[in-house]
Amino acid sequence: MTGLINAVPTDKPEEYRNVFVFLETRKGAIVKSSLEMIGIGKEIAEKVKEKLVCILVGNDLAPMAKEAGKYGCDKVLGAESPDLEDFKTMPYAHYAAQFISEEKPNIFLIAATHDGRDLASRIAVKSRTGVTADCTVIDIDPNERILLANRPVYGESTLAEILCKNHRPQMATARPGVFKVPDAQDGRNCEKDIRRVRVDPDLIRKEIIGFRPKVEFDITDADIVVSGGLGLGKKEGFQVLEELAKELGGVVGASRPAVDVGWIDRDHQVGQTGRVVRPKLYIAAGISGKAQHIVGMKQSDIIIAINSDPDAEIAKYSDYFINDDVYAAIPELIKEIRKLKGEKEVEIST
Amino acid sequence: MALEIVVMIKQVPDSQEVEIDPVTKTLNRMKARNVLNVADENALEAALIIKDRAESHITIVSMGPPMADEAILECMGKGADRGILLTDRAFAGADTYPTGLTLAAAITKLGKFDIIFAGEETSDSSTGHVGPGVAEFLGIEQITYTRSVRFEDGNVIGERELEDGIEIVRARPPVLITVRLGSNIPRRQTLRKKIDAIKTGVETWTLQNLGIPAEWVGFKGSPTVVRSMKTIKEKERAARKITVSEIGELVKELAGNGVIKMEVEQQ
Ligand SMILES: Cc1cc2nc3c(=O)[nH]c(=O)nc-3n(C[C@H](O)[C@H](O)[C@H](O)COP(=O)(O)OP(=O)(O)OC[C@H]3O[C@@H](n4cnc5c(N)ncnc54)[C@H](O)[C@@H]3O)c2cc1C
Ligand SMILES: Nc1ncnc2c1ncn2[C@@H]1O[C@H](COP(=O)(O)O)[C@@H](O)[C@H]1O
Repeated sequence: MTGLINAVPTDKPEEYRNVFVFLETRKGAIVKSSLEMIGIGKEIAEKVKEKLVCILVGNDLAPMAKEAGKYGCDKVLGAESPDLEDFKTMPYAHYAAQFISEEKPNIFLIAATHDGRDLASRIAVKSRTGVTADCTVIDIDPNERILLANRPVYGESTLAEILCKNHRPQMATARPGVFKVPDAQDGRNCEKDIRRVRVDPDLIRKEIIGFRPKVEFDITDADIVVSGGLGLGKKEGFQVLEELAKELGGVVGASRPAVDVGWIDRDHQVGQTGRVVRPKLYIAAGISGKAQHIVGMKQSDIIIAINSDPDAEIAKYSDYFINDDVYAAIPELIKEIRKLKGEKEVEIST
Repeated sequence: MALEIVVMIKQVPDSQEVEIDPVTKTLNRMKARNVLNVADENALEAALIIKDRAESHITIVSMGPPMADEAILECMGKGADRGILLTDRAFAGADTYPTGLTLAAAITKLGKFDIIFAGEETSDSSTGHVGPGVAEFLGIEQITYTRSVRFEDGNVIGERELEDGIEIVRARPPVLITVRLGSNIPRRQTLRKKIDAIKTGVETWTLQNLGIPAEWVGFKGSPTVVRSMKTIKEKERAARKITVSEIGELVKELAGNGVIKMEVEQQ
């Protein structure tokens, strides 16, 4: 317990070295957003010629430590115990903070998932330092070794650069889906220091008594996303989108109101309170283009908008704007794709 | 003995009305109406649902400018019993660390507490870090991002919404709970309770009441500083107009660029 005490400027900040990344795990594997942290963590560690150290807390950590090595982490520090099998805030934060006080990292990154945010500010308070939430741009000043933590504010219109100059470690959580997962490679050097620990029973104050997994579906993995909004007008509209998505080898996405009215499951929602996607192709059908939706898809390579309103906001976020009824445009898209596929088939057989 | 419940709420500018000053790139709060942070309304409702079933005493705690008493009165009009506004010039400019410290100091001064509620995040700072920070200062467990909360046989049971499913967690009080935006339908104020709230009034506590040094709170006590604000440059997109009759051409173009794949099964 930290008690009621202030954040305190670090005595000799120059003694703090290396980049720490906290790895979140599920069923024996590192979650995708934490792999993204390895990517950005490695990048900034290399800029200042320091090491990337990954923190693991849980049980049976060896396979995950190995995985972390493949993705480019230089060292793994782990706390392992059957008592740490499930995510529990107090013991998890305890071991993360203990590793910080032993190893004195300059920077500490965590993916801004729900569990990541659950932990981040507790670890920060334990270390009496600051933390910047939900960054989308992370860099380092190579001379001063100051973390440049940038987060979108005011409805994603503005990027605020936030510094934590006098306190160590400099902490940030980073938005999932923004940073790239690095390539995995066998045979990289990775030092492993996994400790069997005996967890203080006083830290075990909650118990996971159940878990209902979501249906295995993740729109963030797809190369093509075909999304529908209220402009579809009816639930059946999503069947038409499904047909197009199938033809393209993509998946179906949705705006929040389309989910709210029950036309499609929440797993499909794109946007601020849904998922952030960045496919090669994003098709927005009957979606107006409100800021909360745009943040979830604006990083797509190519965007096609279909909207009957010539002044729809979505137009300015699109590469191609089909200003027409969805029920005219979508069937035409399906038809033309099939036609082209048919031609290719003829080409091959002749 | 009644359950002692604390709900932490914040008054924020209405996100529908916020404008950004084109010159200074800062929030133009003057124009926006101030409202109760929406997730905090859900947090209060979660607390009131517990109070509906188990004898409870709910205290609202908020750090903010003097006018924030309005938001606290609104909570009392819905069924909270006591309201405390932490207001002092020294509190201004706080990041999440001193915000949590100030709130935790106030809760400590209140004495006994069983459950502390917070919203999942605020619409103006949207960090979600203040709730867990308070739990750390107080040395208690937490259940974050809950979509529902029950109090049963002396335990708090929360269903957490995670990226890959719903986790059901049981904890013994004292515990801090953060509540998902939109996870319940907040009740309205009643006239009766509103009148009572105005009679009871909102207590104001300053730095002096909390007994912590001025350097620990507000801007001075904040480890992080905002160095700059930049407008986010959007990728310029052509918005090329395509009519339905041109869709065939578009498809060919996309296939030609490899954006869409024309996988043809080869015999
Ligand atoms: C805190 C908060 C979080 C939010 N999070 C999200 C989020 O994660 N994701 C999200 O999407 N939204 C989110 N929203 C909601 C968001 O503000 C918008 O309300 C929403 O994106 C609009 O959805 P829509 O475009 O489907 O519907 P509308 O805004 O109603 O737009 C429908 C569009 O369809 C067009 N149209 C109508 N009929 C046809 C037709 N026959 N053919 C072609 N076009 C047609 C109309 O011209 C219109 O542009 C959030 C809001 C808040 C306050
Ligand atoms: N100034 C404040 N006064 C009271 N509660 C607050 C304050 N700031 C944040 N909170 C609580 O902490 C939650 C998360 O806020 P934030 O970390 O700012 O996203 C909010 O939903 C509130 O419940």
